[in-house]
Amino acid sequence: MREETRREAVWQFLTYSFIVLGAVVTLVPLYWIFVASTLSESEFLSSTSPRLVPGGEFFSNLQALQARENVQILGHVGQMTQYVDLGPVYFAYDFWHLWNPGAIENSIFIAVAYTLLSLVLCSMAGFAFAKYEFRFKKPMFYAILATLILPIQLLVIPLFLLMSQLNMTNTYWAIILPWAANPLGIFLMRQNMRSIPDALLESARMDGATEFQLYYKIALPTMKSSLAALAIILFLFQWNLFLFPLVILEQGKYTIPVAINQLVGAQRVYYDQIMVAATLSIVPIFVLFLFLQKQFVSGILAGSVKE
Amino acid sequence: MANIELDTLRKEFGTGGQTVVAVENVDLDIHDGEFLVLVGPSGCGKTTTLRCIAGLEDVTSGTITFGSRDVTDLRARDRDVAMVFQNYALYPHMDVRDNLGFGLKLSTKLTTDEIHRRVEDAAAMLGIEELLGDKPKELSGGQQQRVALGRAIVREPEVFLMDEPLSNLDAKLRAEMRTELQELQHELGVTTVYVTHDQTEAMAMGDRIAVMNDGVLQQVGAPETVYRSPTNEFVANFIGSPSINLFTAEVEGSTLVGPRDFAYDLEDTAPVAGYDRVRVGIRPEDMQMVSEGGTTATVTVAEHMGNENFLYLELDGHEMTARIDSAIRPQAGETVQFTFDEDALYLFDPDTGDALKTKTDDVDTDVATMATE
Repeated sequence: MREETRREAVWQFLTYSFIVLGAVVTLVPLYWIFVASTLSESEFLSSTSPRLVPGGEFFSNLQALQARENVQILGHVGQMTQYVDLGPVYFAYDFWHLWNPGAIENSIFIAVAYTLLSLVLCSMAGFAFAKYEFRFKKPMFYAILATLILPIQLLVIPLFLLMSQLNMTNTYWAIILPWAANPLGIFLMRQNMRSIPDALLESARMDGATEFQLYYKIALPTMKSSLAALAIILFLFQWNLFLFPLVILEQGKYTIPVAINQLVGAQRVYYDQIMVAATLSIVPIFVLFLFLQKQFVSGILAGSVKE
Repeated sequence: MANIELDTLRKEFGTGGQTVVAVENVDLDIHDGEFLVLVGPSGCGKTTTLRCIAGLEDVTSGTITFGSRDVTDLRARDRDVAMVFQNYALYPHMDVRDNLGFGLKLSTKLTTDEIHRRVEDAAAMLGIEELLGDKPKELSGGQQQRVALGRAIVREPEVFLMDEPLSNLDAKLRAEMRTELQELQHELGVTTVYVTHDQTEAMAMGDRIAVMNDGVLQQVGAPETVYRSPTNEFVANFIGSPSINLFTAEVEGSTLVGPRDFAYDLEDTAPVAGYDRVRVGIRPEDMQMVSEGGTTATVTVAEHMGNENFLYLELDGHEMTARIDSAIRPQAGETVQFTFDEDALYLFDPDTGDALKTKTDDVDTDVATMATE
């Protein structure tokens, strides 16, 4: 009995050590990015070992970053010259037109729109693959899965040509549409939707639900946590997308990774500004995860335990 | 309310060259307001038949009629039927109130107030008013069962369909719900088709029971009729607990000669005329222990239930069960002798299994029915 308790304690110690190690390995680089963003460039370049104590230069670095002409990380409002006091509606209209979005806002808009659209498409496709019988169902599903092995590098040129034919170059849609029906998302939704009992759908059918209502009123609400998990995955995928945005977007529409890339000049790398931009780029992800973490964890575990 | 008529209903499953016939040309007339139980072993086609009636499966051929309405090609939601599923299939993200009201919201034009009223009436009928705000996962099995029933009741459908609704409950609750379900059905008077593999449940609940095997309807009738006068060996064997004792016997003149020293003189030889071999069936409760002149058997296990005893007997490799008075208590290993009345004897064709003779003792089924009412 005592032997067993001791073994359990050792096991627990090892488990926790492993978790702590994992957390350290994940968090230290993030912390280091934050610390680096608070140092002046000379401090950053002259320190021989990584510093752990933040400096006080964050805002001056940010100012320098915002003052650049080729990159806008945070947006700003242009001069509202026409503004006469015509009430809040006019003000909002004016604001909207004079708003110059920065890379963060571009990225947020693109990632949010992409995530919402992709959630709809992936969950619908996943529902169909999981719960309906139709011709060529298997080949179609495997074909979708097979696209997972195509690297983005391979798609850049055909996608660019397609977008240019559609007059969509340098638009948000050029980044949003190509991956909207995300194969990984379809696969995940299909796997999760298979766990919806057929009886549940049949029961709703007998209650008078149409096929769309089955999807909308039964499947989606029961898949909430899987959808949350998928939302994070899709958001991150879009947030980190680099090559295609670099090719198809022009200055002013840059997303965060493309904008950061502009800070690497031919003669000079602006480390301090890169670190500020990187720190800012983490914030939205952090907020998103904070909101969805509960669903994310239970979504990852969905189907692992039979209830 | 309506009667249900199945006319040569056939359902095949399968793709390509492989087809499996799940339901084979079933003709069945279910009366208006009747409680009909479809019973049979797993895979016998009873659930498929129910699903065809529900509209959840397309039929291969044949027709289904509700009253004068041919519903064969109607979708489930246009048939005006409600179904209770084995695992209840409650919507996990809705509370009990929404679960009950979901069907009304989707398939009727009732106002919100009217839906509320009907949901509350149904909840009151089932004694689940205080659960209306709970989610299904907060409920016990019995409560979930009630909600599932409530969801069917609230729609006030023409037909109730129930697919083994009690099989997930523990024995005590199952017995309770059995009675409650019957009372409810009588009260509402809705034509009900109930599927179960449990013959006890079938006997206890059904106005009539329909026994199925291998997709074929074997017999339809009042429980007692099916018990006393099964059409074939399968029905005799399936209905009754413990099962009927069955063995093969040679016909030698007017004597049936079976395993060990089994020899039984028939007074009426008409049923066995032309047979040199028959299958013999004796219900466990018809076995009588005698001190001499019977068939010898060895007791393998004796179960003392208090009010009666079950004896498991062995004669030359054949196992038999006797249900006897609790005063008679032989021990395992002892040798006993048994006999039975010819009235209680069942005989079946050894090849086709068709019944040649069933119980002929003089119980008047009508009187028996009146006595229970």
